[in-house]
Amino acid sequence: MKKKEKAASLHIRRTAGDWIFDTAVVVFFCVFTFICVFPFYYLLINTISDNDLVTSGRVNFFPLVKDAAGQAVFGAHFSNYSALRNVQDLGSSVFVTVARTILGTALMVITSAWAGYLVTKQKMWKRSFWYRFLVVTMYFNAGLVPWYMNMLMMGLTDNFLAYIIPGMVAPYNIILVKTYIESIPSSLEESAVIDGASTVTVWRKIILPLSIPILATIAIFGAVGNWNSFQDSLLLMNNRPDLYTLQHRLYIYLNSSSNLGAMMSQGGTISEQAAQSMLNQRVIQYTVSMVSIIPILMVYPFMQRYFVKGIMLGAVKG
Amino acid sequence: MEATVQRKTRAEQLPPVQRISLWLYRIAALVAVMAVFFPPMNPGRISEKINESASLFTTGISYGTITNSMGRILRSQWIRNADITMLMIACCVVMAGVILCAAGACMSLGNRKMRRRGLLLPLAGAPVMGAGLFLIHRTYAGMLAHGEEIGKLETIRIILPGGFTVFCVFAGFLFLTALTAFLASGRETDKAAQMEMDEKYRLFLMMLPVILLSFVFSYLPIWGWRFAFFDYTPGGNIGPENYVGFRWFSFLFNDPANAKDLVRVLRNTLVMSGLGIATSWLPIAFAVLLAEVRSTKFQRFVQTFTTIPNFISWVLVYAIAICIFSTDGFINSFLTNVMHVSGANTNYLQIADHTWLKMLLWGTWKGIGWSAIIYIAGIAGIDQQLYEAARVDGANRFRCIWHITIPGLMPTYMVMLLMSIGGILSNGMEQYLVFSNAMNKDVIEVLDLYVYNIGIGQNQISLSTVVGVSKSLVGIALLFTANGISKAIRGESII
Repeated sequence: MKKKEKAASLHIRRTAGDWIFDTAVVVFFCVFTFICVFPFYYLLINTISDNDLVTSGRVNFFPLVKDAAGQAVFGAHFSNYSALRNVQDLGSSVFVTVARTILGTALMVITSAWAGYLVTKQKMWKRSFWYRFLVVTMYFNAGLVPWYMNMLMMGLTDNFLAYIIPGMVAPYNIILVKTYIESIPSSLEESAVIDGASTVTVWRKIILPLSIPILATIAIFGAVGNWNSFQDSLLLMNNRPDLYTLQHRLYIYLNSSSNLGAMMSQGGTISEQAAQSMLNQRVIQYTVSMVSIIPILMVYPFMQRYFVKGIMLGAVKG
Repeated sequence: MEATVQRKTRAEQLPPVQRISLWLYRIAALVAVMAVFFPPMNPGRISEKINESASLFTTGISYGTITNSMGRILRSQWIRNADITMLMIACCVVMAGVILCAAGACMSLGNRKMRRRGLLLPLAGAPVMGAGLFLIHRTYAGMLAHGEEIGKLETIRIILPGGFTVFCVFAGFLFLTALTAFLASGRETDKAAQMEMDEKYRLFLMMLPVILLSFVFSYLPIWGWRFAFFDYTPGGNIGPENYVGFRWFSFLFNDPANAKDLVRVLRNTLVMSGLGIATSWLPIAFAVLLAEVRSTKFQRFVQTFTTIPNFISWVLVYAIAICIFSTDGFINSFLTNVMHVSGANTNYLQIADHTWLKMLLWGTWKGIGWSAIIYIAGIAGIDQQLYEAARVDGANRFRCIWHITIPGLMPTYMVMLLMSIGGILSNGMEQYLVFSNAMNKDVIEVLDLYVYNIGIGQNQISLSTVVGVSKSLVGIALLFTANGISKAIRGESII
């Protein structure tokens, strides 16, 4: 902050050209930010506006509902969200996605912390070879179909474990943790070893607490990655629609030409009128999209703290 | 001190017979452990009705998995429940033997005392494996006799799987190597010695699970490259009878229809990657311009909101594309209701014109804010005194940008650029998959999507493996080239 102000004060003369340039830059960024944010806002107002008004394209900038006289007025309703309970297959997808996000992220973080610590140990037999062995997999993969055939051979198709186990070893995250642990003063570890602590104890009692910032970073990025996962579900879960992830389910909804309203379960608790309004395919698509965006927007403020750490450490080569 | 050093060196120089047999034993134990999780090597699949994707491990613990495709057979007791239970117990016994052998292999890395103790484990473990295999064979014989008795042998298809032989060989081999190593290790000389293991091996054993996971999911798929040399259909076998050598490779490039497809797909891939590389300086411009804004609050505001799109999946980007550009999306309703244009009902997503450009724009929309962060951090890291000195010398802000900021960001940019050149053939498939439709599928199909479409969509496993193998090899070559360039001009490697 201080530096910035000082730097700014060095602009002694601001010419007309400077003014025009500054204004143009600010205008540009305002427009670009608008382009980035507006689609989300538009999606949101479409899910909370009256569904008839949405269908007729009346909702453009503000959420609208009908008043008693049938006139469009500013307002919102949330029955679309509660009506999602009756959309078939959505519940299992949400459950699977939440489960894989929690389990997958936890296992990935523990593995990365463990492997990241061990690869800092110079004494390990062939340490640098094993480290490269892990890191090389970042730059090289055998290809989609051999990978798929491998998963098939391992019995990991149509299997929930396919979401968690292959993601446990994340070389990029191992590098991040390793780089971070190397910055921890080694005297801490040495003193514990002199006191008779084993490798596992040192890891648990000293390394883990000290590397919480980096573990939080990889946890949050890993969680977003798991939440957004789509490809593994698409490739591996052919015979188990109940194991589709939320993004895969949404992809199916977005591409289904049939009326999604027909997929609603019959005879639910939903009122006749609400069921009628939910028959709108677009509204279901929008609402499901919104449901899968909301968790990301919720963790987003926490993520921001870790942005620079995450991306800058990545620039440090392995 | 000297004595310990001496003892250590002596311990490392084992007699050759023992050394070789120890290594053979360790490798065999490792392979046996992995084989426990491999469905093709399942010794317990004694009926073709047992799930093909069940490994020895699954067979031992999951009744549901092994029986899920034998409903009628089990209901009519053509295969008796007792036999299944027996099979599961037998599998567990085999696994117990493998675990003993594996523990012995781990302990064999310790000092003499530990090694000798460890080698006793496989001497017990291999017979345990043998006993388990014997039980499996008993079950097999029992099922066979029962099937014959009721005349349903055709339906229940009792077989002795290849994995059975494999595990018999494992058991024998483990026993022999362990016995040789044990006998060659001589008598215990130091009665007071403790079981110890060198720290280097202890650390390695702790790392081993991670290494194995990485091997199984990142290296083992390379074994799948063999499909490129066989005429493989899903569910079929590969063997000498359908070995075709390099025929698929020549087919890919010589068959007119395929060659045409390949040229089209490569063009799409290279154009889209090329556009991405040609616009890879945009994040720098974004960062530099943002740094010129005086208000840090405004900077943070812009940064916050332009980064959001990076964190949503391509499926959600497509959902957003639908809500803005489809027939009843924002553009059309805006034109109709606000601008009062009649007949505005174009579905912009179905128009195939400028697909490459549109994909680039979506990619930029999603990624630019995030890509700019690294440069924003880079700008923050540039020494402010450089700017002050330049201003004192009379440089205006454009000169400052051009002579200080840009050169300061160049190293980072070069890394990014070389990485994207290395990955020119891999643009991923998600974006193109979600945006593809009947209209634009010819111009949107990139290499990754093409592999998916022919491999998974059309079940042409062999052909798509050929494409994938070629792509991987070219990708490695490109990566090394980029790395070489980086070394030559920057004196630093990127990998």
